[in-house]
Amino acid sequence: MKRIECFKVMAELAGDALAVTGAGGNTVEWYACRPGDGNFRVRTMGLVSSIALGMALGLPHRQVIAIDGDGSLLMNLCSLPTIARKNPPNLTHVVLDNEVYEASGEIDTATGAGTDLVAMARAAGIRRASWAASPDELRTVFSEALEGGDAAFIGLKVETSRSEVPPYPMDEVENKYRFIRHVEKTEGVNILSMPMPVSFLKD
Amino acid sequence: MAGHPGPEMIVEGLKEAGVDLVATLPDINLHALLEQVAAAPEITHVPLCREEEGIGICTGGYLVGKKCALIMQNGGLFNSVNGIVSTLLQYNFPLLLLIYFAGDVGDRSFSTNGAMTQPVLDALGIRHFVLRDPDEARTLIKRTLVLTQDYKRPVAVLLTKDVLGRRRPGE
Repeated sequence: MKRIECFKVMAELAGDALAVTGAGGNTVEWYACRPGDGNFRVRTMGLVSSIALGMALGLPHRQVIAIDGDGSLLMNLCSLPTIARKNPPNLTHVVLDNEVYEASGEIDTATGAGTDLVAMARAAGIRRASWAASPDELRTVFSEALEGGDAAFIGLKVETSRSEVPPYPMDEVENKYRFIRHVEKTEGVNILSMPMPVSFLKD
Repeated sequence: MAGHPGPEMIVEGLKEAGVDLVATLPDINLHALLEQVAAAPEITHVPLCREEEGIGICTGGYLVGKKCALIMQNGGLFNSVNGIVSTLLQYNFPLLLLIYFAGDVGDRSFSTNGAMTQPVLDALGIRHFVLRDPDEARTLIKRTLVLTQDYKRPVAVLLTKDVLGRRRPGE
């Protein structure tokens, strides 16, 4: 499968889900398929699923999608038991496994040598973990995942390939503020409001 | 020691500051504190396997409106440095770090951890405050939460054995 074919299916079904992406192609191709301020790009390798977990726990009624890579997940495998332990039903962790560190020069990861990330997720205690071998299979398991019940883990074996898409249109700090404003607006909450200045207050 | 007021005062400070998501990794000296965090109904408690994932979880929580704290040993601070640099500092995220100060003066172990803790925090531009007196705990926790939110960077409170009730009499 091509990564962008997977993203097209997911973008169709994602609705207003908050999405977290990691390094390289995942971020730009996902953003091209599902643009908007409900997307957050992570810069620390490995932390995609952890940041998504924090969002899912903080907003239990909102769907959160972690869009991870094999290299990234391998760096933070302890995220799997932590997700299993909290089991947020609104979290769907999707791993696009191309068996290489694509953004770092296409050097092999351990998954090409037999490490099975779905089996690891299951062994960590994530009950709803499966591979999807085609865009149609992805449509089925991803729709089921978004219905809730348990945290979901979906593995996708994808080709090493980059699609022609525009670069990510903002830096980290702008991404942070746009994402927070999006949450404030869509959830009707205040996250960044500042206290009144002392000079304004009456004794 | 049983019944020491420190852990309760720290948790009271967290509650009064409005902290509602706390990620933790155990240390024997944090035991009483973590039990109280886990028992607090106002707080979503996330037990970790490694401290750096807590940087991510607290970041995600902050992005959707939670007030977060991460409780760990200073060894966990060292484990978390990449996440602190490329997430918290790169994006200007606030986070209250409550760090057990292993290797503090008077301790019989972890003296290298103790020696490196404040220099590492200084190198990262993370302001830090040593907490020894339980009577100061509530106020300091509340004030550091205000500071980290204004500073938009993490701020650390170094929890000593004294405030955690783990200093043996005469030590």
